Amino acid sequence: MKTVIKTTDLSKVYTETAVPVHALKNVTLEFKQGEFTAIVGPSGSGKTTFLNVIGGLDKPTGGNVVIDGVDIATMKESKLFDFRLRHIGFVFQAYNLIPVLTAVENVSFIMLLQNRPKAEMEERAKEMLEQVGLSDKLDVRPGKLSGGQQQRVAVARALASKPDFVLADEPTANLDTESAFNLLDIMAKLNREENITLIFSTHDQRVIERARRVITLVDGAVATDEHFERN
Amino acid sequence: MKTLIKISWRNIWRNRSRSITIITALILGLMGGVFSASMRLALEEQQFEDTIDNQISHIQLHHPEFIANPEAQYYIKGGLEIASELSDRDDIIVASPRAVVDGMIASANMSSGVRIKGIDPEIEARTTGLDELITEGTYFSENGRLPSVVIGQALADNLNSGVGSRLVLTFQDIEGEMVSSSFRVEGIYKLTSKSFEERMVFVNFPDLNRIIGENDIVTEIAVVIENPDDYRDVAGIISGLYPNTKVRHWADLQPALYYSLEVLGEALIWILIIIIMAVSFGLLNTILMSILERVRELGVLLSVGMKRRKVFSMIVAETTIIAIIGGVIGLFMSWGMIEILGNTGVPIPGAEGLEDFGYASVLYPRIETAFYFEIAVVLVFFAVLASIYPAWKAIRLQPAVAVRQE
Repeated sequence: MKTVIKTTDLSKVYTETAVPVHALKNVTLEFKQGEFTAIVGPSGSGKTTFLNVIGGLDKPTGGNVVIDGVDIATMKESKLFDFRLRHIGFVFQAYNLIPVLTAVENVSFIMLLQNRPKAEMEERAKEMLEQVGLSDKLDVRPGKLSGGQQQRVAVARALASKPDFVLADEPTANLDTESAFNLLDIMAKLNREENITLIFSTHDQRVIERARRVITLVDGAVATDEHFERN
Repeated sequence: MKTLIKISWRNIWRNRSRSITIITALILGLMGGVFSASMRLALEEQQFEDTIDNQISHIQLHHPEFIANPEAQYYIKGGLEIASELSDRDDIIVASPRAVVDGMIASANMSSGVRIKGIDPEIEARTTGLDELITEGTYFSENGRLPSVVIGQALADNLNSGVGSRLVLTFQDIEGEMVSSSFRVEGIYKLTSKSFEERMVFVNFPDLNRIIGENDIVTEIAVVIENPDDYRDVAGIISGLYPNTKVRHWADLQPALYYSLEVLGEALIWILIIIIMAVSFGLLNTILMSILERVRELGVLLSVGMKRRKVFSMIVAETTIIAIIGGVIGLFMSWGMIEILGNTGVPIPGAEGLEDFGYASVLYPRIETAFYFEIAVVLVFFAVLASIYPAWKAIRLQPAVAVRQE
């Protein structure tokens, strides 16, 4: 399988505090196409920092992050914007939809930034909303959707542009059990059908039980890296 | 671009009451600015019309000694020819030759000090529009037994005289001897300035010259120029052409008026600047608040790959749209306001006493159409300027931090 992300000796030190904080310590990992990975660990273990660094939202202090053959650790910020736009999908804990746009507009938004043709954009957005079970909410704004529905729109938005991989930071943290299971079913299905690499940071046991790979970070370092056979 | 504007538009209406408040502030600010400008223009026009157009004209020529000693002996040599030459110039509309002397006017039971102006009625009509100021009687159209005099309403009241009354004018002739002659009031004129009405009387040029004792004595030439803004240049040219005369433009003749208009103009600019600055700061505050309220949302936009310059443009577009909405409504309402007040007039409280100084008690505001466009451009410019700081704040957000902001 094709390697989507490869990190080598990745480290991140925050020096803004009186005592430097080593958020990541020599993290070397590889993520293959179509993997469904959960990054777990206690608070402060470096999960979010790791996602930020591999998502190009934060720069590592050392090491490199190679995505699609390109080391984004040394990439200029202006190029990183474009790189994120074309290669990475994001799902946030608090959904973070654009409140003034409807569901279909939210899903189309990234494709719009990519300058995709309008017809293709609309078709794909509708298709994605259908896949997440929201074909009846196309023209509804986020404020009128439940938390679970908003997060499903967020997943549709992240996947609609067919990124190389999707980073989801605690995506089920704000959801009730039923909504969380529903969302995980959808993401697992999309992972299979679209062969998109999914990487979650999570505390949620429900997510961990679904993941085919579970990486445990402790104090910024990889403690365990386990693979499971799951559907 | 279309989506960017769509998002900006919808963002504006997320907090409807706040946007309406700032748009209302814009509208009121604009109306205030336009009203100030229109009143200034009305006052300037009234002052120009009353003082410059109806009284002193743009430029005056005298014998240099006449200014200190307004006597017939200090006349302009070749005055009629000079007036004729000036009238032929392209930059001059008309030049009115006058014989001017100071003297007394007396009715049966009252007398008063006056300045007597001997005029060519036809030329004077084109110079000061005196014929149109006549409210009673006629304008030098009768050939009675006594020569005609046209006096101001205030003087007529003081002398307890009216049209047809016989008045006696007394002044020095060319030899410095006191001479008197009877005149009949043919017309009474009315101006804003009561002091002018009390002081200026008009007679026929030949009638006055006959009494002065010389033919064609011209002691003053009043000049109306084609482009009033060029008064300094034209005065300079005339001065060069006729070095033996003292040439003064209206700002020399009425320095108080000149400075009051200058100060008023300057004050108006500052009033407009303050209004626009106040509105711009209000706009800046509104947009800044809206930015601070949606840090997380902006973080998402930056995270997913929306370029900083697009985020910047979105914020600028929001501000510009608000400015355009407020600007269009504000200009439309300002136009309506000026249309109404331009007809009804705006009474100036307490200005009745200032009429002696040539200030009208009712002003009729008006504004040039170009001003609406100018102020609209200035408004949008300041709105864009006001949006730069909030937009700059927005693009400096760190996406990884912003998306987690509560």
